[in-house]
Amino acid sequence: MMTREKILKDLQEKFKSDIIDVFDKSPKRVYIGIRPESLRKVAEYVVGILNARFNIATGLDARRHIEILYHFTLEDINLLVSFRVKLDRTSPKADSLTDILEGANWIEREIHEMLGVDFRGHPDLRKLLLSDDWPEGVCPLKADYKEWDKKAIRDRGI
Amino acid sequence: MLYLIFYGFALTVIIGLLASWIDRKVTARLQYRVGPPILQPLTDIIKLLGKDTLLPEGASKMTFFMAPIIGFSSVVLASTLLWMNSVNHSHTFIGDLIVAIYLLTIPSLSIVMGGFASANPFASIGASREIKLVLGYELPFIMAVFVPVIKSGFSIKLGQILSFQLVNGAIALSYSGALALIAAVLCMQAKLGLVPFDVAEAETEISGGAIIEYSGSALAVYKLMKNMLFFVLPFFLIILFMGGFRFDGFNFLYSVLKYIGLVVIATVIRNTNPRVRIDQAVRFFWGPVTAIAVIAVVLALKGF
Amino acid sequence: MSLKLKALLKSPWVFHLSTGSCNNCDIELLDCLTPRFDIERFGMVLAGSIKHADVLLVTGSCTRQSVIRMKRLYEQVPKPCLVVAIGECALSRGMFIHSYNCPVPLDKIIPVDIYIPGCPPKPEAIIAGVVKLIEKVKKEKRCEK
Repeated sequence: MMTREKILKDLQEKFKSDIIDVFDKSPKRVYIGIRPESLRKVAEYVVGILNARFNIATGLDARRHIEILYHFTLEDINLLVSFRVKLDRTSPKADSLTDILEGANWIEREIHEMLGVDFRGHPDLRKLLLSDDWPEGVCPLKADYKEWDKKAIRDRGI
Repeated sequence: MLYLIFYGFALTVIIGLLASWIDRKVTARLQYRVGPPILQPLTDIIKLLGKDTLLPEGASKMTFFMAPIIGFSSVVLASTLLWMNSVNHSHTFIGDLIVAIYLLTIPSLSIVMGGFASANPFASIGASREIKLVLGYELPFIMAVFVPVIKSGFSIKLGQILSFQLVNGAIALSYSGALALIAAVLCMQAKLGLVPFDVAEAETEISGGAIIEYSGSALAVYKLMKNMLFFVLPFFLIILFMGGFRFDGFNFLYSVLKYIGLVVIATVIRNTNPRVRIDQAVRFFWGPVTAIAVIAVVLALKGF
Repeated sequence: MSLKLKALLKSPWVFHLSTGSCNNCDIELLDCLTPRFDIERFGMVLAGSIKHADVLLVTGSCTRQSVIRMKRLYEQVPKPCLVVAIGECALSRGMFIHSYNCPVPLDKIIPVDIYIPGCPPKPEAIIAGVVKLIEKVKKEKRCEK
């Protein structure tokens, strides 16, 4: 059985040119920053060879770039590995993982509608959670979101 | 005419509402609660009469409104027939047992009619389940009704069955009668639409089932029909198996106790069982219950 | 007081409608039906379909998608019907007041008769609120006469 140190050493050796930094937060969590181009390679390796499970993806708007974190769990050794991908803020693009991980379909739709990230190769990129009368291109979770609805009531009426 | 208005309608309504209150109160007590006050079923019906009656778009108006009225009137007629035979045994005619069985099938069919007339998918599911349930329980019910017919000398007159029981004691006291009574009580539970066989009107599962689109006066007629059925069906079983209602002195108290006993049995079964699926219900009725009824018929033919 | 109204107040059938809540208020509401705070002694029964309802218990801050459906449902309730708003989110969207998905509060969409504050309100508070609603309706009708 591979232990935690062996797995980290293995990853760092195999993807030496793709990994930007490794942050060892605690015995259960590791954050590994990788380049956006090598996302698919790393994901295929982790799911196929290391037998990890894809948990969820998180998207957030840091002030100067947009980050997406992909969380994979290795249950036998109780480890959660998060791969951090930093994207350009003006037009964020990333590769879609839908054909290797079926579970990435809906979370990529949600990140697309909330943060405006364009996933290349996604089969069906439409709105998931927002209502039908939401205008195109307005991303609510971005830092520069402005209220577009003229009929909204935002005071408590006191 | 007097029988129709007084016995058939008024007395049945009063006793039916009381029985429905007994059911709710006993249920509440079994669940460590305080139940509703005594006039609660009546208040429910009066409140429903004061609300709007909405007709869904696409539903056929005639069938939608005639369905509760048909069910209600058949229950009134059946009740009149049974009361007439109880009060005076000579008011009977050949085949009135068969008429009573037919009239008591119509309320379930009126629910089905109403369910299919509302243009709603949930109502169709509820109505189709009710049809399957009717197919399930009619078979053992009719076989269980065979037993008093056989034992009282192959007569299909209700008055003759009652007179036979006056002379020879209740049919439920013999082996075949007891088995047939058990089968008939289980079929009564399904006919009344009580748990464990209330798939047609499953409240939380298909949000109301066949009566989902009914509101206001039509719903009031349905609820009244259900409450009256709660009186008429145990009354029918008492006439067939337990010697009927008698009005003289001590026997009157005994008859009232018999009726309350049947109501309490229905309530206790209702509170101690979960709801079964429709295929499990049909398998139950065509399996064990039909077997019990067939054994009862065979024993009755042999003379036990 | 007319017979219609008296019967309505003595046997109100409740219908529970959630317009996007966190389900805390829904749990407290379903607690009211349990044997500890038994509300069947007031004649209240949980109705299965909206067409059997007399009192609408609305929880949740109104999200854009659920507002469309809620308007349609309110038109299908047979009048007379009372509306009760339960929880902070139904009163004024509570802490979600600046959220992108909750543009208008509940009482700008359907007329509300009584508000029950709390996050979530205890079952005792819900029962006290319903009693105050019944008193209010009785007083209104007497003033009208």
